Amino acid sequence: MSIKDIAQSIIKSINDGDTLTTISLGAETFHEDSVKIASVLLNKKLGGIYVTTSRPSSHIINELEEAKADLSDLYFVDLVSMTVGGTTGDPRTLYVESPTMLESILLNISLLERRLKAKRRFVMFDSVNGLSIYSEPKVLREFINVLGNSMRIREIYSMLLTVKEQTDEDLGSALKLLSDKVIGD
Amino acid sequence: MAKKDVTKPISLDPRGGRPRDKCETHIEGIDRILNGGLPIGNIVLLAGTVGSGKTTLAMEFLINGAKAGETCCYISVTEPSSKMLSNLQTYGFFDESLVKEGKLNIFDLTVINDRLGVERLDGTYTSKDMEALLGAFEDIVDELGVTRLVIDSITAVCYQLPDRGSIRNFIFRLSQFLSTFGCTTLLISETVVDSNTQTYSIFGVEEAVADGVILMGNIIRQGDLLRSLQVVKMRGTKHSRARHLIELTPVGLAVVPLLKWGQDGGQAFT
Repeated sequence: MSIKDIAQSIIKSINDGDTLTTISLGAETFHEDSVKIASVLLNKKLGGIYVTTSRPSSHIINELEEAKADLSDLYFVDLVSMTVGGTTGDPRTLYVESPTMLESILLNISLLERRLKAKRRFVMFDSVNGLSIYSEPKVLREFINVLGNSMRIREIYSMLLTVKEQTDEDLGSALKLLSDKVIGD
Repeated sequence: MAKKDVTKPISLDPRGGRPRDKCETHIEGIDRILNGGLPIGNIVLLAGTVGSGKTTLAMEFLINGAKAGETCCYISVTEPSSKMLSNLQTYGFFDESLVKEGKLNIFDLTVINDRLGVERLDGTYTSKDMEALLGAFEDIVDELGVTRLVIDSITAVCYQLPDRGSIRNFIFRLSQFLSTFGCTTLLISETVVDSNTQTYSIFGVEEAVADGVILMGNIIRQGDLLRSLQVVKMRGTKHSRARHLIELTPVGLAVVPLLKWGQDGGQAFT
């Protein structure tokens, strides 16, 4: 499935009233594709929260700026920068001290949600696999379940990004069960 | 045979009855755990280990009350009030004008003791001292019209009482008049963890007399320290008994349910 098709499927999913979607992307173009998806949604005037577990938010901001995306209503929850000693001064980013502090993700999403101006909102979780480095599969499944249902209650369109090559059958089926739709499978 | 009235709705609250008026903490997530807040006039033991966030939570409870127009009071037993005030400046939710307007009052117990003449070299209160101290607390609450009070810490006060009977009596009497004044109170209790079990108080008496117990602690998760909060007991309201994560955010403290983390595997109390 091309990134254009994936982006179209996401827009359709939003218009269909879905709230939780799993998006499976290939490892080779994962970073480029995730930035493209965010750009498409931002340019359609959605406000969003980008949760990053796999690379510092400063990198993603740079790439989005290069893609000329409108960043005026985009905020970040960054689980990487503090862990690796990166920059932690961006005013639109809340930094989580350690990737083991999974509850902080939920807490920070709810804080940033209040700053979003757009009526149509999204949360992009990049990526579920990034957390598996630090958390056991059963813990990860518990977290995904809490995260997914928490987003559903908030009625914010949420995308759980997964790396196709790194997602085993167990995790894949847990995500399928939780999501309204799986795109790019 | 009379037909049973099936039209009357069944209350989903297992307690039934009429709920008590609540003192809202306005701390993110805590009022939800407490089903609306602390019952007004309750005396609550805020128990926790070192660094678990007791003083921060107590201060935010007072500051939020003061912002809502209530008169609030903090009695510092272990630290000078000047030090407490300078620590408060570091919190984004603190507003200095609340102190100037008399909405947030901070007192030193050592100063109160000096004025009452109850500071003893051997560090033990007589029953006369205890009466004088209770009288001083009552005067503060009555004269200022205090509706939210924090004593930080009750443990330090208890160390000056001669025996467990006196501790029980002191807290019971304190609770009686505070309840009469409708003053909702947090008594901070310093606790320790022994063999992975956390106690509610050093003397084992305070929790029995208090109307409520909120337990705070540190959890080690894969080497990282996380702060936790759990409401153990709260007379006058139904409440959650689940363990929650508590974190200091730019808007103050916030609480979210703690992940079970595979039934506590990889995490321990400290």
